[in-house]
Amino acid sequence: MLNKIYDWVDERLDITPIWRDIADHEVPEHVNPAHHFSAFVYCFGGLTFFITVIQILSGMFLTMYYVPDVENAWKSVYYLQNEVAFGEIVRGMHHWGASLVIVMMFLHTLRVFFTGSYKKPRELNWIVGVGIFGVMIGLGFTGYLLPWDMKALFATKVGLEIAGSVPFIGDMIKVLLAGDTTIIGAQTLTRFFAIHVFFLPAALFALLAAHFIMIRRQGISGPL
Amino acid sequence: MQRGKGMKFVGDSRIKANHRMPNLPKDYSEYPGKTEAFWPDFLLKEWMVGAVFLIGYLLLTVGHPSPLEGPADPTNAAYIPLPDWYFLFVYQLLKYSFASGPYNIIGAIVMPGLAFGALMLMPFLDTTPERRPSKRPLPTAFMLLAVASIFYLTWESVVNHDWEAAKAQGEIKPSDLGEGPKVDIEDFKDMPGYEIWMDDAGPAASCIGCHGGDLTGGAGPMLINTGLEAEEIETIAHDGKAPGMPGGTFAGSDEELKELAEFIASLKEEE
Amino acid sequence: MSNNRVSRRQFLNYTLTGVGGFMAAGMLMPMVRFAIDPVLQSKGAGDFVPTDQKVAELTETPVKVNFSFEQVDAWYKSDVTAMAWVYKEGDKVVALSPVCKHLGCTVGWEGDKNHPDEFFCACHAGRYHKNGENIPGTPPLGPLDEFEVEEKDGLLLIGPVRPNTLVKK
Repeated sequence: MLNKIYDWVDERLDITPIWRDIADHEVPEHVNPAHHFSAFVYCFGGLTFFITVIQILSGMFLTMYYVPDVENAWKSVYYLQNEVAFGEIVRGMHHWGASLVIVMMFLHTLRVFFTGSYKKPRELNWIVGVGIFGVMIGLGFTGYLLPWDMKALFATKVGLEIAGSVPFIGDMIKVLLAGDTTIIGAQTLTRFFAIHVFFLPAALFALLAAHFIMIRRQGISGPL
Repeated sequence: MQRGKGMKFVGDSRIKANHRMPNLPKDYSEYPGKTEAFWPDFLLKEWMVGAVFLIGYLLLTVGHPSPLEGPADPTNAAYIPLPDWYFLFVYQLLKYSFASGPYNIIGAIVMPGLAFGALMLMPFLDTTPERRPSKRPLPTAFMLLAVASIFYLTWESVVNHDWEAAKAQGEIKPSDLGEGPKVDIEDFKDMPGYEIWMDDAGPAASCIGCHGGDLTGGAGPMLINTGLEAEEIETIAHDGKAPGMPGGTFAGSDEELKELAEFIASLKEEE
Repeated sequence: MSNNRVSRRQFLNYTLTGVGGFMAAGMLMPMVRFAIDPVLQSKGAGDFVPTDQKVAELTETPVKVNFSFEQVDAWYKSDVTAMAWVYKEGDKVVALSPVCKHLGCTVGWEGDKNHPDEFFCACHAGRYHKNGENIPGTPPLGPLDEFEVEEKDGLLLIGPVRPNTLVKK
């Protein structure tokens, strides 16, 4: 049955080459933990992507309840965590995922560094990867404010002060992020929400696509 | 690939009617070593790791609910901020004298900026074809140093942080949930302690600062339903209480303190 | 090899689908349950809300009775004012919901001069008899809902809404 549907679509759209191109690439022995256990270090990149998928999904679901507003943000988070079934788990997935993705990305970066995989011809992919690292840090920083609880507010205050200490343009960056010259409040929250939910994820998708396309073009780096 | 004459199409589209790509994985037997196909051979192993990881991850979310502190209150001046854990090393760095005060810019911008910039430009700083860490000692040494200092700084900030105070200062209070205490302070109007507390220029002014004019708490805990005896309250007012409450800030006489303590001790929710 | 045997590739594909399905389920199960929570949440029966309407002053002519209550909408609490058409049917007090069963407009008593003694919905000219029964041939497909009522200290109390019980079919 499924095969027939597949053939019907394939006859019309010729879809086999599209996904075969993604599915058919060789996995050499030296990165396969089934053959060399130490090759588990090559798993960190995949796990980073896996958690990123969880983050995107759980984030999408969280916005069903969350409102980015100083009056209601905390109340809506409290509500979704304590009153909604599985709210604790969905928010937990997003919260712990945010930490785990940083850990996994850190380990992945170290693996690429110590295997010297960033060298010619993979310089560009390394730069894109460091870009992803920056975006992830930005996502962590903006997401920390959204529950609008005590630690969120005060950590963001410090973060914005640091942004403000950039020479020459610091004050501009600070106002651009906070939305006001002195207050960290309603406009800061909506800005951080927009950055966290639309701008940075858009950048992340673009960088991830570039990252993966380059891996497929170049293949994985050879054994040491 | 067949092109030109003799090539058949599906309808008038550019999809070929004959010679469709067979849906079979490529043969990797010619490749060196035990090379295998990504789909389905390797992906299955990867997903099995992923499934185990997911189980652990879900257990973590069930076992440790994500924390939520009380709602943001910008007027709370006593709050000690703490960033998310992966910023702790920067947080700690900014405590050192060479990276704070007039040199704040060094710790906040220059050092992280240099580190991030160097990381990004790594392929152009380390241009030798050597890949083994042991054959490129300088990059390896710098990276190890960076990782070690990140670990060290994070560790330092964790051991130097007062976690109990941090926990207490962020606790969700009943008033945050719109559930005031079920005690009407007005009912205790006749007690002498009431007058002392309510006079916000009086001897209890410093108490109000933390515990709130309506005794429902602020930087300090709520003073309704304390479950303490009057003598215990007097002792705390005299000696202070860890964490954070200094002793002896009540500016009135011992007599007034006694009256105030009796007032606070009597603020009990009726059963 | 006979046709019934499962080849290595098939086996791998089946296992892959199974493991993938497990992961997708593990990830999505909490999230989907989280999303559909409002559908599964059972709302407790509403309370009776006091109004200013004296029961003794009610007549057989429907009058508008406003009542307000605190509505808890997840984390958002607000005071909502609603209204009902109330009249006396013998000794019994009847309170009808003014929400038209066609598309949710508000019906008025004798809102149209040509149709006295009827509820009229101005949006699409839907009409109802006094007991809330929809008049065939007009847009509404069912009778007006009814509020439960109670009396306390001579004042009318309006309770939760329920399907019309006055219309005999």
